[in-house]
Amino acid sequence: MVLHINQVKKEYGNKEALKSVSLVIPKGACYGLVGPNGAGKSTLLKIIASIILDYEGKVRLINLSNQSLKQQIGYVPQEICLEQNLSAISNLYFFGKLYDLKGKELKSRAMEVLKEIGLIDRAKDKVKQFSGGMKRRLNIGCALMHRPNILIMDEPTVGIDPQSRRYIFEMIKQLQQQGCTIIYATHYMEEVEQLCDEVAFIDHGEIIEQGRVEALLQRYATPSVFVKGMKELPEQLITLGDITRHKDGYLITTNQLIAVMETILQHYQEESDKLLRLEIVRPRLEDVFITLTGSELRDGQRGHV
Amino acid sequence: MMGAIFTLEMKKNLQDKGLLFWMVILPIIFTYLFIEIFTSGADDIAKLEVITSIVPGYIVMFVFFIMISMVTSFIKDRDSGMTARIASAPIKPKFYLLGKWLPYILIVCVQIFILFSFGKVVYDINLEQPILLTSLSIFLAYMVTGFGLFLALSVKTENMGIALTQVIALGGALISGLWVPIDMMPNMLQKTAEFLPQYWAHQALQDTMHGTLAYKDFFTASGVLFAYGTSGFLLAVIRYRSFLKVARS
Repeated sequence: MVLHINQVKKEYGNKEALKSVSLVIPKGACYGLVGPNGAGKSTLLKIIASIILDYEGKVRLINLSNQSLKQQIGYVPQEICLEQNLSAISNLYFFGKLYDLKGKELKSRAMEVLKEIGLIDRAKDKVKQFSGGMKRRLNIGCALMHRPNILIMDEPTVGIDPQSRRYIFEMIKQLQQQGCTIIYATHYMEEVEQLCDEVAFIDHGEIIEQGRVEALLQRYATPSVFVKGMKELPEQLITLGDITRHKDGYLITTNQLIAVMETILQHYQEESDKLLRLEIVRPRLEDVFITLTGSELRDGQRGHV
Repeated sequence: MMGAIFTLEMKKNLQDKGLLFWMVILPIIFTYLFIEIFTSGADDIAKLEVITSIVPGYIVMFVFFIMISMVTSFIKDRDSGMTARIASAPIKPKFYLLGKWLPYILIVCVQIFILFSFGKVVYDINLEQPILLTSLSIFLAYMVTGFGLFLALSVKTENMGIALTQVIALGGALISGLWVPIDMMPNMLQKTAEFLPQYWAHQALQDTMHGTLAYKDFFTASGVLFAYGTSGFLLAVIRYRSFLKVARS
């Protein structure tokens, strides 16, 4: 099974929310979708989830199943879409019924999902009594009721505590192991690094880069060396990389890691006690993101997307 | 699938204590007060005439307040992301709308039953043609909720919905003779009233109470109510896409 998004375009009035977006999402992948506010992420997710129907281009699911695209997709929206006055299990029943689950199957599946999301002891409690993290987990659980092959998650960890975030990450990893394909939209780069195999950067309605996370890091982000305890750096380092004062040390951004470290170690061979810390700083996806999208604020540039 | 939407909507409404006030307590208070005002010093025949006009008149007026609950429910779903989430499930829009609509038809039927029962118990009103009256009540519930469905999918904000409901309910009541007997109103207003479903519902309900509703008039009134309700539903189906476009997700 592969999800093909082919030259998808979407306009809101005169504004182009998506300009010919094409993606191929393979089975079992955790695919990150990253972009600034108003970049077009949510519009793309809504198109994949068949919420937006009037768009140009094609979204095709190539598989052997007879089920429709909607039957195979579970959608976890950014908002917490739960009935606050109903219990956790009633919410799960509701979403299960929307996918035609009935009777014993519905009940047993709801119990399975409650276990998966860690709310089995709170099954009959009203959602309004839940913490933010519990609501987020239930929000995901509702999308899992019909055992979707593809799970679309739109910023599923916004505003939750680290424990719940970790729990959600474990759930995602388990789902992926079970063969579920995950499309994960987020602003948090560390989440993409931790969870996703592949990532697409979207900006101004266009995919500006996509590929495997490691490959993008190699292509766009330069590693650095952090050195602490030195008052002055050897002059040779200037030719080897960009040096910036950073906290209580120096950060040397370079493609010649070994040469930089050798130079530092040689320079301080006799005064090694002055060298308090020397470490390689791994490049971050956030650097790739900033490189690709720039560092300007994007708040409210475009509504609706 | 439609059943799931129906059950959820029903549960939400049963938990809504405000609904009981708007739909039952307030109409009973108004009916009681206005009957007291208009019948003070009147003889028995005039009294019966006033009661037979006010009870169905206020029923027809107050059933329109269900539109406030419908607007609130749809706007809340739209802004909470629930509409978009349901749209991602394999349920057709018309079934989603039907699932949301049917509970309100049921609620209005119960409301009409309670208000007529109040009239019977307290004022001993005549209910000479109960089958026709029941059928008309169902058509009335269908009409008002169908219209409410269209309104709920058309307004941008809850306040706009509440304001329009009041215009429709109170304005319609004034023109259709729900407050003052229609034959006491100017000719132009009497002609205008014939375009409003409230007028047809009120006249037909009054006639069933007197036992004078001919089948031809029953079918005319039911037809008008059915046409309004169905138009509301069809317009709501057409509006659904625009409604979904602005829904949060």
